[in-house]
Amino acid sequence: MRTILAYSLRFILYLILIAPILLFITYAFSTRWFFPQTFPVEWTASTVQRAIQDSRTFSSITQGLMISMLVSIFSLLLGFPAARVLGLRKFRGRQLIWLLFFLPTVVPPLAIGMGLNILFLRIGLAGTVTGVVLAHIIPTLPYTIFTLSSAFARYDENYEFQALALGASPLQSFLKVTLRMLLPSLVVAALFAFLISWSQYLLTLLIGGGQVITLPILLFAAASGGNPATIATLSLLFIAPPVLVIVATARQLNQHGAGIREQY
Amino acid sequence: MKKIIYLLITLSLLLAACGAPAQSPSEFDINDWVSVLAAAKGQTVNWYIWGGSDSINAYVDNFYGKALKERYDITLNRVPLADTVDAVNQVLSEKQAGTDPGSVDLIWINGENFFTLKQADMLYKDWAQKIPNAKLVDWENPAINLDFGNPVDNQESPWSSAQFQFIYDSARMSEDELPRSYADLKEWACANPGRFTYIAPGPGGFLGTRFAKGALYEVSGDAKQWLSFDQALWDQHSPALWDYFNELKPCLWREGETYPKDESELVNLFANNEVDFSMTNDITGAGRWIADGRMPETARAFVFDNYMIGDFNYVAIPLNAPNKAAALVLANLLLEPEFQAAQILPENGFGLGYAIDVTRVTDEAALSALETAASQLGDAATPASDLAKSLVGDSAAEYQGLLEQDWLTFVLQQ
Amino acid sequence: MRDKFIYSPWISLAPALTIIMALLGASLFYAIAESFGYINAINQTNASFDAYRETLAFNSEFWVSLGFSLWISIASTLISSAIALVLAVWLSERRGNMDTLALNWNLAFPHLVWSVALLLFLSQSGLFARWAASLGFITTPDQFPVLVRDRFGIGVILSYVGKEVPFLTIILLSVLRSQAVGYDVVAENLGASRWQRLRYVTIPQVLPALLAGDLLVFGFIFSSYEVPALLGIGYPRALPVLALRFFLDPDLRARSEGMVISLIITLIVTLVAIISLRIGERRE
Repeated sequence: MRTILAYSLRFILYLILIAPILLFITYAFSTRWFFPQTFPVEWTASTVQRAIQDSRTFSSITQGLMISMLVSIFSLLLGFPAARVLGLRKFRGRQLIWLLFFLPTVVPPLAIGMGLNILFLRIGLAGTVTGVVLAHIIPTLPYTIFTLSSAFARYDENYEFQALALGASPLQSFLKVTLRMLLPSLVVAALFAFLISWSQYLLTLLIGGGQVITLPILLFAAASGGNPATIATLSLLFIAPPVLVIVATARQLNQHGAGIREQY
Repeated sequence: MKKIIYLLITLSLLLAACGAPAQSPSEFDINDWVSVLAAAKGQTVNWYIWGGSDSINAYVDNFYGKALKERYDITLNRVPLADTVDAVNQVLSEKQAGTDPGSVDLIWINGENFFTLKQADMLYKDWAQKIPNAKLVDWENPAINLDFGNPVDNQESPWSSAQFQFIYDSARMSEDELPRSYADLKEWACANPGRFTYIAPGPGGFLGTRFAKGALYEVSGDAKQWLSFDQALWDQHSPALWDYFNELKPCLWREGETYPKDESELVNLFANNEVDFSMTNDITGAGRWIADGRMPETARAFVFDNYMIGDFNYVAIPLNAPNKAAALVLANLLLEPEFQAAQILPENGFGLGYAIDVTRVTDEAALSALETAASQLGDAATPASDLAKSLVGDSAAEYQGLLEQDWLTFVLQQ
Repeated sequence: MRDKFIYSPWISLAPALTIIMALLGASLFYAIAESFGYINAINQTNASFDAYRETLAFNSEFWVSLGFSLWISIASTLISSAIALVLAVWLSERRGNMDTLALNWNLAFPHLVWSVALLLFLSQSGLFARWAASLGFITTPDQFPVLVRDRFGIGVILSYVGKEVPFLTIILLSVLRSQAVGYDVVAENLGASRWQRLRYVTIPQVLPALLAGDLLVFGFIFSSYEVPALLGIGYPRALPVLALRFFLDPDLRARSEGMVISLIITLIVTLVAIISLRIGERRE
């Protein structure tokens, strides 16, 4: 009896998780589906087609991908040395630095966005992709640093010394030893930074000022009262990258479970 | 030494060749259309238009976007707005920052927004009656040369016409049950509680503002008195308007504690049988929405006996527009008879009416296209005679802000 | 040694630290400045407490929104914790890789999309309403309860619960799975019943992590904009929605009030985060 209960609870749990996707797929291809019809009677692919071919949707996807990839790369570049030092060294002020890096995850994007909007207007970055990329780095950098620093904490520098001692150049040692050993964590950190940037709404809205449009902005605008088929299509497009990423990195995520605080 | 001098000369020639285009291509003379076309070639026109309708967006891209590229080698960059006031603010902040050239080439605009930019002296001047197709527009008609009571002054060119109408579902109600005045409407709503709502007047909810203005006209007994701004008139009649809405409130959908924020939301409520009426500005009535799969095929448009506001809407060019020539070409294209005929057909997705005077069209083929289109509006549209009978003009621009602000205070937050 | 120099702490930390400090610092600086009335866009440079006075005035909408935000944050957090606790205890008893995959899957779902899905499911003419109609429970949409875009924020709370339960469950699971199973086994050997073990062993083990997680969740919900903007109604509004409404007002003077509210939100959330950190530290 208990196992039947367990199985049915499990089933419900998984159903709740899959339901949104089924919902979106159904809505996206339906037309003239009104209350009280339980299922769509008329189907069409034209809404999906129109949404994908729409120049605005297409450019928002490409822009979003580009921004998120840039954010991911810069987070890694900036975060890697910082994480190494935080993970491997003990020095005065370490606690303080930890706290400072923790700060951006606490200060709400609302406050950050509003203040940055003014700064960027003054230095001419408002409404530019550069400005948006910079703004996105703020919430992503702490996560990159924390992920990498816990990887570094488990890391043994001696491998590098060995390589050097065996005659490798510093560059070779870096590429073939350090990066190789840290690869899983690097991948997770990069993907996570990508996701956080991909899902940003407020920051892009406030800094992009209506000129940098990404998918979440389109979705939000469509969601309140728009064409349900369009909403569904945009949602599917929006969740495609995150879902792929999480499925690919699920195992690694378990190790970082306690430290993760989702932003989206 | 000689080699260095030759090198320097070659380099400077190369630089001169790359750096300086033949003549400045953006120079043109508005009186010489050929120079405008030449200057516009290869340009991109940044057209800021309200983006709240998928079908209008698709129409613009498919009809104007393609034609601009194919005929004039101009690229259309359609910039969707949640509300036209966003483009106005953009131009105003560019003015303040001294940004020239700015980012906006053309705005779909009328009324209060046009007034704001005209007052701020941020509109390109002296062009609307000089484009070739201006001869098709009846510029003598005060409905065209006055926009919300303000002289257009050659600073904006018409695109289409619209008139406020309601929509009902003929499968749910018959024609004789329809209310034909605001007073009737209140009666009907309170006899059928929860089956009516209106769009919240405000940014992005221009249909709601129009609905409220119609009520104001009926409550004050006359539409024409609102053409020029008079604060005393507002103070005299607006209390009666708020009384009307507050008496209507408990009979509304969700008891008036929340309202659909734009047309699309109301359409969803109507189609899903949550309310029995929707609203529109389209000459095609419910046609566009039916073609788009957003409303049942039995939807029909209708009007009250009076006070259904109609007007023209325009496009204007900001003073700091970067691609003025391309903007002029686009403004001219909008008035082209073939596109005016296309814009009123429900299946094309735009659905607003003519801006040109059909009697001024001399080309036989164009004329017959226009007349055919006008007869193909379909059952879902309101009969033209009904539209004409109930037509009134919009009010002076200043009342718009007053109405929207006071509605918040006196109705929503009660 | 050169190696030591390149990896000297401050050189390595400098880029990341500079960017964060500069951007965060500048944004806070401008936020505070504007809250005192220094609005550059309209050349207003006289500092005053006007915005503060207006916001904190007795009858201002700020207090209504504060109450509403506190309500949805506390309710969402408590409900999520309860469910997460039950789930975590249940799941910890089995080796479930599918379970963690399922939880992570939900983590992938952006908040916005989850809220949109809820809108489509739960509105009065949404999917559930249609099924209810086909089963004969209702005939018109208004007979279906108002669950989203409602005055009590039910839809908002449901949305947050749906996303925070997996988050908290993952935290609790990692605690439960890494704790020494020993305590539990000892208690069982000493004759404790299942409920007693739960109450005296399991719960105290997870309590610090749960509390810390709860505070993080509370802070996140309290300062989040998207969900209440999408699933709430015009009045009462959540605090972040109110702040943004002022900030984007065409009348630029209203921005000061928006900044004031935003700073108050930041203050509250920071305090909550500090408390959460302290609890987290005590755990070690």
